[in-house]
Amino acid sequence: MSLKDYRPMMERCSNCLGCKWIPFDKIKSQRFGENCPSVCYYNFNTYSARGRFQLAQTILDGDAEYTKKVTEVVHSCTSCGACDVSCKICRYNLEPLDHNIALKIDAVEKAKTLPVQETIIGNLKKEQTMIQGQKRIDRMNWAKGIKVKDILLEKAEVLFFPGCKYSYEDGLTEKARAMVFLLQKAGADIGVLGKADACCAGRAYQMGFEKEFEQRANANIEAVRKSGAQVIVTPCSDCYYAFKRLYAKLGLNVEVVHIVEYLDRLIANGKIQFVKPVQMTVTYHDPCHLGRQGEPYVAWEGGEKKIRNQIHTWDPPRPRYNGIYGVYDAPRNILKAIPGLRFVEMERIREYSWCCGAGGGCSETLPEFSSWTAAERISEAEATGADTLVTACPWCESNFAGAKNQNGNKIKIYDIFDLVRAAL
Amino acid sequence: MALSREIYQAFEAVVGARNISEDIGICESYRAIPCQTSDHRGPFKQKTPLPQAVILPGSTKEVQGIVRLCNKYGIQFKASTTFWSVMGYIGSDYSVQLDMRRMRRIEIDPKNMYAVVEPYAIGAVVQAEAMKYGLNINIPGVGCSSSVAASTAGWVGFGPQTIFMGAATENMLAAEWVLPDGEVLRTGSLGAGSGWFCGDGPGPSTRAILRAKQGTAGSMGICTRVAVRLHPWPGPAYIPSRGMAPAYKANLPDNFKAYTLCFPSWDAYAEGLNLLHQAEILYLGHRQFTMFGRDIKTAMIKILNDPDGQLSDLEGYVNDPELKKANEDMKIDIQVIIAGMTPRDTEYKEKALDRVLEMVGGWKSEFMMDPEIKDWVLMYLLRMGHKNLNYVMCGGYEGNFGLSGNVFVSSSVMEEASALKKKWEDEHDYIAQVGGDSDMGSITIMGGGGSTGWEFFTHFDSYEKESVEGTAEFFNATQEWMNQKKLGLDMGKWNQSARRPDGYYFSQEEQDEMFSKLAQPLVAYYQYRVREAFNPNNLCGSYYRTLSKV
Amino acid sequence: MEKIQDALTRIVGAENVCGDPKVLSEYSQDKSFAPGLPPRCAVRVHNAGEVGAVVKWANETRTPLVSVSSQAPHYKGDTAPGVPEAVIVDLSGMKKILSINRKYRMAVIEPGVTYGELLKALAGEGLTLSVPLATRAGKSVVASVLETEPRLNALHQWCDLDPLRCVEVTWGDGNRMFTGEAGGSVMDLEQQWKEDKWQWEPAGPMMLDFYRLLTGAQGTMGIVTWASVRCEIMPQAHKAYIVPARKLEDLVDFAYNVLRLRFSDEFFIMNNTQMAYLMADKAGEVDGLKEQLPPWMAVVGIAGREILPEERVAAQEADISEIAQNCGLKMPEAVGGISAEAVLRKAARPGGDASWKEIYKGAFQDIFFSTTLDQTPKFIQAMGSLSSQEGYPVCDVGVYLQPENMGASYHCSFTLPYRADCASETGKTRELFVKASMMFSRMGAYYFRPYGIWSRLQLNKDAQGYQVLQRLKGIFDPNGIMNPGKLCNY
Repeated sequence: MSLKDYRPMMERCSNCLGCKWIPFDKIKSQRFGENCPSVCYYNFNTYSARGRFQLAQTILDGDAEYTKKVTEVVHSCTSCGACDVSCKICRYNLEPLDHNIALKIDAVEKAKTLPVQETIIGNLKKEQTMIQGQKRIDRMNWAKGIKVKDILLEKAEVLFFPGCKYSYEDGLTEKARAMVFLLQKAGADIGVLGKADACCAGRAYQMGFEKEFEQRANANIEAVRKSGAQVIVTPCSDCYYAFKRLYAKLGLNVEVVHIVEYLDRLIANGKIQFVKPVQMTVTYHDPCHLGRQGEPYVAWEGGEKKIRNQIHTWDPPRPRYNGIYGVYDAPRNILKAIPGLRFVEMERIREYSWCCGAGGGCSETLPEFSSWTAAERISEAEATGADTLVTACPWCESNFAGAKNQNGNKIKIYDIFDLVRAAL
Repeated sequence: MALSREIYQAFEAVVGARNISEDIGICESYRAIPCQTSDHRGPFKQKTPLPQAVILPGSTKEVQGIVRLCNKYGIQFKASTTFWSVMGYIGSDYSVQLDMRRMRRIEIDPKNMYAVVEPYAIGAVVQAEAMKYGLNINIPGVGCSSSVAASTAGWVGFGPQTIFMGAATENMLAAEWVLPDGEVLRTGSLGAGSGWFCGDGPGPSTRAILRAKQGTAGSMGICTRVAVRLHPWPGPAYIPSRGMAPAYKANLPDNFKAYTLCFPSWDAYAEGLNLLHQAEILYLGHRQFTMFGRDIKTAMIKILNDPDGQLSDLEGYVNDPELKKANEDMKIDIQVIIAGMTPRDTEYKEKALDRVLEMVGGWKSEFMMDPEIKDWVLMYLLRMGHKNLNYVMCGGYEGNFGLSGNVFVSSSVMEEASALKKKWEDEHDYIAQVGGDSDMGSITIMGGGGSTGWEFFTHFDSYEKESVEGTAEFFNATQEWMNQKKLGLDMGKWNQSARRPDGYYFSQEEQDEMFSKLAQPLVAYYQYRVREAFNPNNLCGSYYRTLSKV
Repeated sequence: MEKIQDALTRIVGAENVCGDPKVLSEYSQDKSFAPGLPPRCAVRVHNAGEVGAVVKWANETRTPLVSVSSQAPHYKGDTAPGVPEAVIVDLSGMKKILSINRKYRMAVIEPGVTYGELLKALAGEGLTLSVPLATRAGKSVVASVLETEPRLNALHQWCDLDPLRCVEVTWGDGNRMFTGEAGGSVMDLEQQWKEDKWQWEPAGPMMLDFYRLLTGAQGTMGIVTWASVRCEIMPQAHKAYIVPARKLEDLVDFAYNVLRLRFSDEFFIMNNTQMAYLMADKAGEVDGLKEQLPPWMAVVGIAGREILPEERVAAQEADISEIAQNCGLKMPEAVGGISAEAVLRKAARPGGDASWKEIYKGAFQDIFFSTTLDQTPKFIQAMGSLSSQEGYPVCDVGVYLQPENMGASYHCSFTLPYRADCASETGKTRELFVKASMMFSRMGAYYFRPYGIWSRLQLNKDAQGYQVLQRLKGIFDPNGIMNPGKLCNY
């Protein structure tokens, strides 16, 4: 859908501004009651989902244009989808998240981008990664020294897709190897894409670079098809979302699981057993693209149908992504299975979780805002009394680590896999 | 006329560069489009004027600085908090819009049961903070997403819990207010530094100029802090919940009871409500779910309780014989909540409720006593977090008919009003066809009962021009009917005398023409005199209704 | 003088104009320490038309008007002229009860109607009204509600101004209008009643809250010629209890806990001295009663009205009793030889023509203000110290604490009896009154109803608020004819 196709939604948004808060039924405090990093940081209403609906109307009408400020507004959405969940508590015919991205796509089509975005996307096109400064040629270096099948050469049931962060970043490459090792030890038949491995481009889509995303997506889908893999396992939530939702829409027909789901299964059927106590008080951050945006894709083609004069319905009924079927229990099951670990919840969890700030490319394009967003989450984690904040996405982890270092917080930041290893 | 650099920089010096913008995109997003929200003025498609700048003050001092500059340069201003209502937007070209979002502090005095709030403390968070101390706040019908200060100090402010907690005007204690001339007024006990506990006096109340029945909707300066009386909350420190979005359900202890009371006739309904006013047993009373429409309310309840529910499911449910029967059973109904302070209190209130029903031949809906539905109702009504359901069906809603009068008067015309609406639903396709009666309203508009406040939810498509215009026609018809019945102004037109259909404020000449026809024109004349005294440069627009001469 | 009387005679008739110096001297000074001046004359008015004509004349002649509704004696200084040459507008003859509506629990009354008269009429309709503590027989209900006298049942006060709702007022500029809901319709009560409108909603009717300009105004804004009041259903079951305590602090916790849960109907706290003043039939009984009584008492009334009255009383009795127990207190029906029922009977009904506070020494002076309950012990302690210091017997200081507005604030009142015929005692009491008033002001007391010297103490603390009041006064009483000299002559 192009931006103008969202016109009915723009005009049917009622300005209730529930999109700025977690579902009201779940608010436990003022401090942690809001949900949209963008409007919380920049304060002008324009930065909210409603503001974006209204901004888009004025752009379509020619009353406003993509000024420098408007361009910043448009791209300051972390695409976290918290607004979408809150909106859908009451509404059945609005898609604020899709609209936010459509607005970005419109801006990108009109060459209204933030300066860093061009560099990032240039790198994606050239080196097929979102990590600036990294080379395509180095992508598989992470797998050096481990025995793992190249799935395009040798059939394997499970395709392990580490994503850009785990492929390139110090500290993470070692972890990627450990993941493969653990999965293999638990009996999984693992392969990797080898030379065909490249960025999922989910973040490009989140930034509004739809064409670049589609190019990469189609190439990746083709590689997966050729691989014959039955299951894709990824430790990156952005990759998970790209494969699970975006690629599925483009025709990918393979089971996609995040590593926490896979580990949860292995723990449940006894193939992984924890032996060492981990004496930590841990709270868990739900990555947006694993949680509320991690719901399975459901194909739909249809249109609006009015009943009873003016009530809008979809014919046939349209899938309703309201965040509830995301991956929430698996990581919690893992943490609760670790001996000695005390698990505590933050106020904003599951479908109404607060974003880490890295989404929508913001960790690169608007680092100050992104870091503030992460710091907010760290404050929330600290308020639980936890000494450790755990997540299941390398983008979240690095954004938290950056904010922690910047602000001098004492809380420890880990990926959930780190605790799994510690307990083995 | 854009702001000169001198003026813009002067504002910037008050709030800092980060908190002011004149960018066209920012300013455009601070224009209201009345049919996309609710305005009680008619569902127009025109936008309100474009502000010259949007300013975000962070303190009373900054607000005062802005207002003084507005006086110095003759710039109109309007402050708003959550921007839901068109009332909060400017109405002239040479204006600045204040967004009060940065002012959000909440301080609670748990012992003396009040909260001091800044404008951006919304109902949901004040309630959440109050519950930690076993207290609760009156959340008016506008819902918990709206500003407590705006509801308390700025607009009508009654709702489901008014039967137990009183209306906003009653709960308003002392206030801090930047007057339109830039002076700061502190009312009641606050003025002399004695605290926030009393909003009236000493002697005559200066509060009189700030807030009466309707509230001044931001037309008499800017309320920067207000103390709001809190009320007992005999529940946990927060409302524990279960279930999946959107149907979160409250896990509350047994002292909370939610019922849908049903009556055999409107006479019995009126009698029953009057007895409930007198009995002092309710924590909450609201005719809530008929807002979807008499024919479809149980179907909507089913959909809203199903995480996978869709509006496409509606027809299937509507034709379900069991649900049809439940609709019939609940034809004349109201939702109530009892919150017992102790087990004895709960027992007494339950018995008293049953006695009232017995006296008027009423009953409790079985359908609504299903534990899952009951707990959803508890969550819904106690939090009032579902305002956007007003718009769920068509995207547009406006309340009409609307009678804040005694229950015997309002209930006696309910069927006739329903029939008129049904006629429009059946003969035209502008508004949703829901069975006529779509009345929603509070069991009382003031503490202790006496009058109910009701409105018919009229659902229209804010995207479709024909639907918007047809709805306006329907409101003309309902106003005509209300005139015949001498029932006053249709709620969909309450604010028609405050802002023109083109989104601009009225001129004084236009106001004179309107308000000279009041039954008691002195009311608007004195308001003119007060405006002249406290808003000499007329910077806050025509929501302050004035008549320049009698 | 002749000219004035002629003009007023044309308006109200000769029989209603009084220039008799003896009668006028009764208007010139009340029983408070506030100074007063003799009026020029007094007129008895009987309807709003006459009031309007008098106000019009007063504007033309710039004559000060002082309206009086209650029967003498007066105690607060507000009706004693503060300037010379004033004309008293006596409304006490306006005694019509214009309507009582059982269904809506509303009554509309003229200013001359007393509590005794209204309660009797209400009882005939199955209604009653929460009243000020043992109000005197000749007290005007309209004056009482306009002056926001505290009521025994704070939980039926949804705001500070309840039970007052709508009024008809003639402003100082001579304009007459209805306020609140009544101001939104045709200015004709009969017509409004035909339309089933019962002057129920007080605010507005639009942006400006007119009735709030009249409450606490001591007649400085306008003259009210009827007011509507919100009534209550007459209890069918009614019990009373006294909760005795050695320390006020114990009752503070008890009061917070009871009112917080919305339990009780009548509720107030007194020390033994004040209770003795209230319950003694003659001066000689006071000291004995004081000795019998515990130092502090909370009086708790529980009423059952139309729905299961006995059950309501029983449930609340048990619950409040438990709260008392949790505070280490008991809740008997009688203490020190007086029954709670007798206390409530006396507290909730109009008494004699004079105040019961005169019983002990023939005269008294009250000091009262609003505060929060947790602040009251510090004021009481300070009053004790100051009394000792000033040589006033501490044991004679009566203390009365009355929750207002659902307990959001408390009326904190000290009663200082003295012998008016003893110059030194009078002087000493006057000095204590002035010093204590100033001390409380410094301590943060809020003179919500700023009579006499309190108006200066209170209004001078808030320049901006005072300036707003002045501007309002200028609008509604542009010639300053309404009770000038009061409220700092604003």
